[in-house]
Amino acid sequence: MLLEVAHLDAFYGDFQALEDITMAVDSGESVAFLGANGAGKTTFLRCLTGLIERKRGTITFAGGDISHMSVETIARRGIALAPEGRMLFPSLNVEENLQMGGLSRRRGYWNLQRIYELFPLLAERRLQMPNRLSGGQQGLVAIGRALMANPTLLLCDEISLGLDPLAVEQIYASFTAIRLEGTATVLVEQDVRRASSTTDRIYCLLEGRVTLHSESRRLDTDELTRAYFGT
Amino acid sequence: MTRWTLPAITFALFVVAAVAAPWLVGDGGIGLLFEIVLMLAMAQLWNLLAGYTGLVSMGLQCFVGLGGYVTIFASNTLRLPPYWVLPLAPLVCGLVAAASAIFLFRLRDAYFSISTWVFSEVVAMLVFIAPGFGHVSGMTLETARAIDYEVFLLANFWIATGFAAAVMVGIYLLLNSALGLSMLSVRDDEVAAASIGINVWRNRFIAYVAASAGCGLAGGISFMAALFVTVTTAFDLNWVVAMIFIVIIGGIGTLEGPIVGTIVYYGVRELFANLFALSGSWYLIALGSVAVLTMLFAPRGIWPFVRDRLGVEWLSIARKLPTIATEDDAKGSVSTSHGSLRA
Amino acid sequence: MVWIGTVINGVLLGGLYGLFGVGLALVFGVTRIVNIMHGEFIALSAFIALGISTVLPNAHPLLLVVPVMIASFALGYVLQALFVNRSMRLPDPLAPLLLTFGLSIVTRNLMIEAFGVNPRSIHQGDFAQLSIDVCGVQIGVLPLVTLALAVVLFVTLQLVLRRTKIGRIVRATADNSEVVRLMGVRPSSVYSIVMGFSFALAGVAGLMLALRTTFTPFSGVERLLISFEVVVMGGLGSFWGAMLGGIALGVAQLVGLRINPNSGFLYANLVFFVVVLLRPNGLFGARQ
Repeated sequence: MLLEVAHLDAFYGDFQALEDITMAVDSGESVAFLGANGAGKTTFLRCLTGLIERKRGTITFAGGDISHMSVETIARRGIALAPEGRMLFPSLNVEENLQMGGLSRRRGYWNLQRIYELFPLLAERRLQMPNRLSGGQQGLVAIGRALMANPTLLLCDEISLGLDPLAVEQIYASFTAIRLEGTATVLVEQDVRRASSTTDRIYCLLEGRVTLHSESRRLDTDELTRAYFGT
Repeated sequence: MTRWTLPAITFALFVVAAVAAPWLVGDGGIGLLFEIVLMLAMAQLWNLLAGYTGLVSMGLQCFVGLGGYVTIFASNTLRLPPYWVLPLAPLVCGLVAAASAIFLFRLRDAYFSISTWVFSEVVAMLVFIAPGFGHVSGMTLETARAIDYEVFLLANFWIATGFAAAVMVGIYLLLNSALGLSMLSVRDDEVAAASIGINVWRNRFIAYVAASAGCGLAGGISFMAALFVTVTTAFDLNWVVAMIFIVIIGGIGTLEGPIVGTIVYYGVRELFANLFALSGSWYLIALGSVAVLTMLFAPRGIWPFVRDRLGVEWLSIARKLPTIATEDDAKGSVSTSHGSLRA
Repeated sequence: MVWIGTVINGVLLGGLYGLFGVGLALVFGVTRIVNIMHGEFIALSAFIALGISTVLPNAHPLLLVVPVMIASFALGYVLQALFVNRSMRLPDPLAPLLLTFGLSIVTRNLMIEAFGVNPRSIHQGDFAQLSIDVCGVQIGVLPLVTLALAVVLFVTLQLVLRRTKIGRIVRATADNSEVVRLMGVRPSSVYSIVMGFSFALAGVAGLMLALRTTFTPFSGVERLLISFEVVVMGGLGSFWGAMLGGIALGVAQLVGLRINPNSGFLYANLVFFVVVLLRPNGLFGARQ
């Protein structure tokens, strides 16, 4: 198992955002996290990357306990995040944003050239500033930036939220290539159809708890509705 | 024991101490207490601006100086005892502050802070150049010759303590009022406050003019007692530097903070300058070190550190939310839930 | 004719002012800290330069630039790493402000205890007294070199920030210090490097100051307001803005002194106000 999470609780001050989360992802697998706004999906990803300090439980990645490691160390170990809202660096152009992703110089398939092959759109806009890109194009840069670190685990937080369908197509098309190179992915999504058609398994979160764990192709819509909204 | 109890007791103790002090300490002690009490008032005013309104001013020394000059100038020119012309100090300073707000309020954050400093320097230079204010020699309070020295000393002390008490009571009452609540909301989130109809500009304007006028009066009292004012002492940056030091060390945004800060400031000064009898630089080194250590280990200030560790309250203006009775009322026992808004 | 000379010398003085401000602009642009210690950096560097010059009495004063910059960089890095970084854990900007303020008082008074308050100067040959004649106007070589050095440092700083990897990292950290951690960058290390650069730039300013005039441990805090004005006029974080701001203040200063020799910094301060009121975010700050 590449990633194992056992009985994870997470807190914002006194507020408990996650309760008893247990899940796992194997190398090369693709897993989706579904749930309404506020269910705890982003919090979960932030826990994996080390951005949330107040937590209990264990997170094991590539054989090591990363529950108490710093964000910077976890990043160098091979977890990369494409954050909610893309969060590109506004003072850096497209190419520089991508180069920032490759800072940790991890060995692997992905480099600047190959990212441009994956997203030809970006090659045309190498020197443009992020504020001149559409939301979808920014999404491509965000994923490219995460890939530049050659992660073994790629986390994507609502990367298609609010984007035009064409951009979303492109982004999801890239996941096939990403899977081919053996990177495991955790996708946080609200678009159930896309998530279940691209991933192996799905988890559903409601108010900080896992309410459903299913193989994507065996996903039962009624069960999902109950797990998503609660009854 | 209500939340007014401790503040009321504190106020009573302060009044008693102020009345009794001249008989407990000598003339030199009165001079020191006079200085301390004025500094406390000025620190509370700076705290009102920075801690409760979010305006970090590096220019309040402008009004301290103007207040001093106005008082001495008016007293000499009108040939009146200085006490009668004291009210002119806050009046003039309030007007100047109001005028300056028109352009200073266009600026934000660091731009605003630096500009208040520059404004003070400009005013200082204009006073220096202007005829009738003594240029480099400054002005002496000539009308003081008619006043008996002992009486003068006592009167000044009680005016200063009265002023400091008024400032603190005033701020306490203000923050407990509706206007105070709107000020706090502006400090916490300007956009949110504006969206519920609070006039942000007006709140800031009131606080700025009040603090400036207050510092003007403090300056008037201070220089009246000193009998002598020059541009260098009047518009000295160290006035606001001391205010900033006292408030941030003590705990910005609290009423108790400036009290704690003042005690620390003068404690260090008296210890190093008098007790250890070291040269002036060492007391400043100690003061700077206190600032550094406090910011490293208790960055919100000494009072919040102590308050949170020991769980005590003193002059807190934390508001309790109304209690909510639940179903248990019907069974005869009242279950209440309330939280509190800490200011 | 005399006025042209004044304006030219004002521009040259502006080079020194710009040099005072650029380190401050760099630190503020990246860390959002108003570094009150900056004045002390300038004064301390003057004393460091004095020390180095006594060890190398025959060296051309301009050669002192490199060792002064290196020593200053190291000192700035250590100060940030040991002290200022700790106070930046909370988002409140007032804590680092008071910390740098406390450090500045300690540093200044330690300098007073160590070096005394008597004015010092660096005597390295006749360099400081040289002047050239341009169309009847006497222009000091030292001010000319100062301006040239300021421009060179500005351009170098811009190049480092725009074209190098460390520059990218610094810009990214200034943009978003949380996201940059996701790429394995420790923001506190970046801040230490930036403070080191800032101190190095102040070091050059201190050296130029020491060559030009006498200095005391108070020389830094006396120039703190001008440094702030330069940075604020330019637009916080903009270097070319700081340069232009410096020149504007330099010209205003000398023209003002010619109008009224007793006016001190009055005219420079008035120009500051005019600029800041016309453009509340500085010359090159973000438009409101």
